[in-house]
Amino acid sequence: MPETYGWAGKILSVDLTRGEVAHLETTRYVPQLIGGLGVAAKIAWDELEPGVGPFDPENLLMMMVGPLTGTLASGAGRVEVAGIAPQQHPPVYSRSGMGGHWGAELKYAGFDGVVVRGRAERPVYLWIEDGQATLRDASGLWGKGNYGTTAALRAIHGPRARVISCGPAGERLSRIAVIQTETGNAAGQGGYGAVMGAKRLKAIAVRGTGGVRLARPREFLDLCLSASREGQIPAIPGSDHHPAHEPASGPSYRTRKCGFCATPCTHRLYMNVPGESNPGLYTVARQCWGYMAASREAELEARAITSDYGLNGWEISYGIIPWLQLCKQAGLIDSIDGVSIPVPDRPIEYLRDVARVSGEFLVALVRKMALRQDPLGDALADGACYAADVLFGGTGRPLLDHIYPRHAGQTEHWGGHWGPGGNVYWPFWLPPILQWCTDTRDPANDTTHQWTEHVQHYLSQSGPYRGPFPPEKVRAVCERVYGSGDVGDPAIEYDPPEARALPAIWHTDRGMIVDSLVLCDYENTRVFSMLGEDGAADTGLMARLFSAATGFETDERELDAAGERIWNLHRAIDVRNHGRDRRVDESTIDGFMYPGKDDGVLPDRSQLLRLLDTYYRLRGWNPANGWPTREKLEQLGLGRVADGLATAGRLG
Amino acid sequence: MSESVGTTVGTAGAVVQRSGVIRFDGKACYACRECEVACSLYHERECNPDLSRVQIDFDDFRAGFPDGRVCKQCDWPACYYACAAKHPDPALSVDPETGARYVDESKCNGCGACARACPLAPERPVLYSKRVDGRKVYFKCDLCRDRPQGPVCVQICPAGCLTFIPAEKRRS
Repeated sequence: MPETYGWAGKILSVDLTRGEVAHLETTRYVPQLIGGLGVAAKIAWDELEPGVGPFDPENLLMMMVGPLTGTLASGAGRVEVAGIAPQQHPPVYSRSGMGGHWGAELKYAGFDGVVVRGRAERPVYLWIEDGQATLRDASGLWGKGNYGTTAALRAIHGPRARVISCGPAGERLSRIAVIQTETGNAAGQGGYGAVMGAKRLKAIAVRGTGGVRLARPREFLDLCLSASREGQIPAIPGSDHHPAHEPASGPSYRTRKCGFCATPCTHRLYMNVPGESNPGLYTVARQCWGYMAASREAELEARAITSDYGLNGWEISYGIIPWLQLCKQAGLIDSIDGVSIPVPDRPIEYLRDVARVSGEFLVALVRKMALRQDPLGDALADGACYAADVLFGGTGRPLLDHIYPRHAGQTEHWGGHWGPGGNVYWPFWLPPILQWCTDTRDPANDTTHQWTEHVQHYLSQSGPYRGPFPPEKVRAVCERVYGSGDVGDPAIEYDPPEARALPAIWHTDRGMIVDSLVLCDYENTRVFSMLGEDGAADTGLMARLFSAATGFETDERELDAAGERIWNLHRAIDVRNHGRDRRVDESTIDGFMYPGKDDGVLPDRSQLLRLLDTYYRLRGWNPANGWPTREKLEQLGLGRVADGLATAGRLG
Repeated sequence: MSESVGTTVGTAGAVVQRSGVIRFDGKACYACRECEVACSLYHERECNPDLSRVQIDFDDFRAGFPDGRVCKQCDWPACYYACAAKHPDPALSVDPETGARYVDESKCNGCGACARACPLAPERPVLYSKRVDGRKVYFKCDLCRDRPQGPVCVQICPAGCLTFIPAEKRRS
């Protein structure tokens, strides 16, 4: 085998039905598809037949890392997850991901990913150690929570084994079950924990003592040492801009980061917090999402239980609970197990209107869902969009409108409407709407954050924000990065439409690069920077890191083309397997046809349709149906994908 | 011979120059392990925490702060004496610039006397072995003695929990 740098060179291929483990050569897919989600998309395109459901043995569950995983590049601990996602409504091929230490450990064990096929007869777990992998009996783990599963596997395989697992919710095929690692990192959106459950794969434990070899190690080290570590918010030059260790009030915590990352993003690890509703001590990491609970202790207890059962707390907090409150206001339901559902005294229009909930309510709700207790828990275990199909005779369905764009299974996020996410001001929520229209999931996994948080924080005028950059400086950077200075102009609304479509495309393609290298989008897709005179971020850094790591000389434009290639491959899967077309994209707009939460601006549907036209045109897709064209696919080296779409009668 | 800060006298009467040291503050540590990767990348030209001279131990299911293991560059370096006692041309050396106690890989025959002698062993080891061309050799923190900017782990650490203390600033 030729020497590979960056990539480990092998992908683990596991057939649970046959109980067999084999290897794929990574070089079949790279450098064209980079790694991570790029490779996953190619495997999915080749193997997933239209009609395969999320819980069928034929579904693929892929845990993928890339050439920069486990290196010194920031955010190198992540792993991306792909396959047909049960949470999506209807299920489609999609993606999720998580930080922590597991992704890097897989790489150190000698693999660029794990592709799981089939279904085991009895519960199993996969043990991976330094190039070897074995399937082992997990009957003693089945039924355990995520915390107990990790503890049990570490007792067998040593304290340095890294574990991902599904909890009791995943075992019960909850469509909002997560794949969890450690105390808080999870592949949340998508319901991939239920795919593990359907495959009877309880956990994957990994230990690797190998290393990631790099083509030019000294250059790579220098690149990492001099890389920006500014994070999202403009940092004062000269300051190290890392959050101070605040003295704790209430339960004490440790400040933690995901593994293998040097950015200012941190989370808090709360240990041994006494439970309010249940006796016991609870340990949980607190990242960006949270329950809107009556007290900090109640929130931590509910979070810990949610993580242990392996449920998607985001969906519960920002979707299910608000929807239940809306249902109560509409007279459809009053209480759960005798605990009254709290409601605000005014109508709920945005997430911020939702009433706070008690720890007692949260614990009762989470347990009921995780264990699918009675018809209510059974329905809610599949998320609000599926629950609305079966509860209350379907009368709760219209109440999903403000929360779930396209009723597609995931709550609005960073699109300036329902919330969560921070403030984002007109007209800067237009590009995220285009991303929502064309994506298979909440796009804030990898593509939206840098636009909505980072970009608007630098502008001198964005709602009430007063960022440090004057309009001329913003215009010059936008001209260089997006190819249009209009992109950063708050006075431009729908015209020219390129001003809104270009950033949607740029950030999506960058998201695909990040998901394939695999890094975190937090630092690696930035546009502005305080470090240089001109205010531009080092947008070429990822290409230089990739080149120094792998030895494949790749400039920024070539890497961007790879991102575009991977996005087109995702689109092709969606079009061929799931009937994705312009009609589906357009139906997403309904979820945004009410005043923006931070500015009260009501979007204009006909103008949004024009933006969509421009998006398709710039993408090289047919604006009539939203399908990729042969010309575009061939330009990206995806001629065979064009043939496949032509055979399916869906070539644009 | 004059006694001065930065100089100490070995048990065998050999003068061992005082060393700087890397200090670890567990209360500030994020457990991100950037130090482990930076160390292995600098010294071994690959990203491999198992080849790092600094090791971060933590378990999020157990109360407490992360524990960082890195050589304390002892005033009385038992590893150095053990190596010198056993070999006429010892592999463990003292860097004249920084005072770092370091292993000369070309001389190490992998006997392990240094690792056994270390007062931190066996609970919290800071000397490790690896294979180089099939030959077992030991490695340990050398304070990046050939790196003008100082220890690379200190430079990469986003938490500021690793600090380099020069010999003259160490408490006596």
